[in-house]
Amino acid sequence: MRLPSGVRDWLPQEFAFKRDVEERIRDVFRSWSYSEVLTPTFESYEALEQGLGEGLMQQTFRFTDPQGQSLALRTEMTTPVARVVSARLRHATLPLRLCYLAPAFRYEEPQLGRMREFTQAGAELIGASGTTADAESLFMAVETLDAVGLSDARFDVNDAAIVDGVLASVGLRGRQAEECKAYIAERNVVRLREFGAHQAVNRELFEILVRLTMSRGREDVLRLARPICATERSLTALDRLEEILRRADALGWGARINVDFALLRDLRYYTGFVFEGYLDDLGFSLCGGGRYDQLLPRFGYDVPAVGWMVGVERILLALERRRADERPRNEVDVLVSGSDVVAQRERSRGLRVRVDVRDLDRDALLEYARDKEIPRVIVATGDGVEELTLEEDA
Amino acid sequence: MSASQLVIALPKGALYDETAERLRRAGIGVPADVGRMLKVTADDGRTQLLVLRSSDVPAYVEFGAADCGIVGKDTLWETDRSVSELADLGFGECRLVVAARRSDGYHEGARYPTFLRVATKFTRSAQAYFAERDVPCEIIALHGSVELAPIAGIADAIVDLVATGNTLKAHDMVVVDEIARSTARFVVNPVRFRAKYEALTALLDRLTGA
Repeated sequence: MRLPSGVRDWLPQEFAFKRDVEERIRDVFRSWSYSEVLTPTFESYEALEQGLGEGLMQQTFRFTDPQGQSLALRTEMTTPVARVVSARLRHATLPLRLCYLAPAFRYEEPQLGRMREFTQAGAELIGASGTTADAESLFMAVETLDAVGLSDARFDVNDAAIVDGVLASVGLRGRQAEECKAYIAERNVVRLREFGAHQAVNRELFEILVRLTMSRGREDVLRLARPICATERSLTALDRLEEILRRADALGWGARINVDFALLRDLRYYTGFVFEGYLDDLGFSLCGGGRYDQLLPRFGYDVPAVGWMVGVERILLALERRRADERPRNEVDVLVSGSDVVAQRERSRGLRVRVDVRDLDRDALLEYARDKEIPRVIVATGDGVEELTLEEDA
Repeated sequence: MSASQLVIALPKGALYDETAERLRRAGIGVPADVGRMLKVTADDGRTQLLVLRSSDVPAYVEFGAADCGIVGKDTLWETDRSVSELADLGFGECRLVVAARRSDGYHEGARYPTFLRVATKFTRSAQAYFAERDVPCEIIALHGSVELAPIAGIADAIVDLVATGNTLKAHDMVVVDEIARSTARFVVNPVRFRAKYEALTALLDRLTGA
C-alpha cells in the first residue's frame, strides 16, 4: 500500500528524534509561561476562511460531511486559535498567552521542506500591542531555535508600515501601492523598476525605494528609510524596530538580527512588525511571525495580537544535515526475565523496562542486552533474583 | 560553507558563453569549456559553479543548492519557482512570439480558426496569452523543432522564441504577435540573499557595473 503524496510515516527512531525536538520547544514555551491549546483537526471551512489569504485558500483540503456541511483541514493554527479566543476565552483577562504544537495540512507540491501534512509549533500573545509584546515573540523564537540546537539561526525583522510610509511619499496609493508591495516582497527588482518607469512617481524617491528593496542591514537601513517615511505610523514603526534592535543587543543577539526592508509576510494577515528566522545553509526560512491586529476583529473580538510559528520538520531537516552520524539512542534501562514483580518495581522507579517474553537463557539474555545496549539485566528463577553482570567491552 | 563563498548556477546552451564572459568581467574566472563537468570551481579557488540545463537553474536556486544564478526570463515564465529577480543583465535578448504560416494570413488580420491549435515549448506563457485574449485553443506541448508543427499539419500556430527570425523565414512562417521580450536575469535565493548579503550584492554590483 502506498501513501498519498506529501505525507509520511515516522518510524520509532525518527519519531523519538521528533518528539525530543518537540519537547525542547515545549520547554521554551513553558519558560515564557504560555499555555498549550489544541483545536480540532478539521472545522467549518467558513471559520478557517477568515484567516486565509488567497494562496492558502487554494491549498486547503476541503470536504463535505454527509449533511452537506463544508469542512476543511486547518492549514495553520493561528486562525483556529483566534476563533477559540473570540468564542470561548472572551472573558479571560488579557493579555492571553497561548501556544500549540499540532499538525496542519496544505495541498501543495511536495518538495524539500514542504509536505502536505506538517507539524507547526507556535505561540500567540493576544491583547497586547506594545513593542515589548513584539519583542517577546521574536526573543522566544530565538530561544526556541537555540534550545533545539540551532544557535546559528539568524533573524530578519521589518514592519509593513515602513513600506507603506515609503510608498506614500513616492506617490503610490491604493492598488498601485499593493502591486508595488508585491514586487518588493518577491524582491523582484527588475519588475519593480519596470513598474516605476510607467508610473507618475517622484523618480528620485523611487530610486531610494529600489535601493531599500535591496537593503538588509541594521540601523543603516532604518536611516535610509527615515527621511522618506511620510506617515506618522511609519515613523513610529521605525522607532519600534530601533528599540527591538537595541533590546536584542542587550541580550547579546545583535549580530543575529537584521532589518530587511523587503520582508513582507502574508499581507492579509500581518499588520505591523514581522520577522523570519533562517539558517545560512538552508534555502528556506525556519520560522516566522509578526503582529496581526486585524484577525481577531474578523471573529468579532477587537483585540491586537502578535505571534510566531516554526515548522518542526524544517528543524529536523536542518538538524539532520548536522548530525548525520549520530548513533541510535538506547531505549531500555533494564532487561527483566522471569518476574512480573521485579519488572513492576523497576518501572515504578522510573526506569524503562523491557520484559523478556521469549524465555531466553542467561547467555541469550546477555547477548541481547549487549546488542541493544541495555546496561542492566535481572533474572528471576526459582532460586531467587539475580542481577547479571555485563562484561565491559574490551 | 562560509558567508563569502558563493555557489552560482549557470545555464548551458545559448546563454553560456555570454554568461561566462560577464562573470569573468566581474572577476570570476569561469572556464570557457566545462566539457561534461557539472560542478567546477572558478579560478579564484572559492566560487563554485553549477552548470545546468537552463530550465533547471530556477529550481537549484529556489532550493538553495545554488545561492544565485543566471537564467533567461523565458525560463522564469515557464516555472513557478520563488526566486528573486535582482537584475536584467540585458544580454541573450529574444522575443516570445506567436507565429504562423505566411499563407494563412493571420499576421495580416485573418481570423483564427474557432478552435486554435498551438504548438509550443512555452505552454504556460501560451496558455496565459490566449486566455487573456479569450481565444479558445488547444496547446500542444512539444520539446523541439516547433516550426515543423504547422507544416506537418498538427498545429495552426506556434508560440516560440525568436532571436534573428531566420528559422521562421526558412519555413515560410511569419510573426503574428509579440508576447514578450526576454533577456538574461540575475536571480537569487530569497533566504540566501540575506545569509550572504555582502557577497551577493557585491557580485550584483560587478555584474551590472554599478
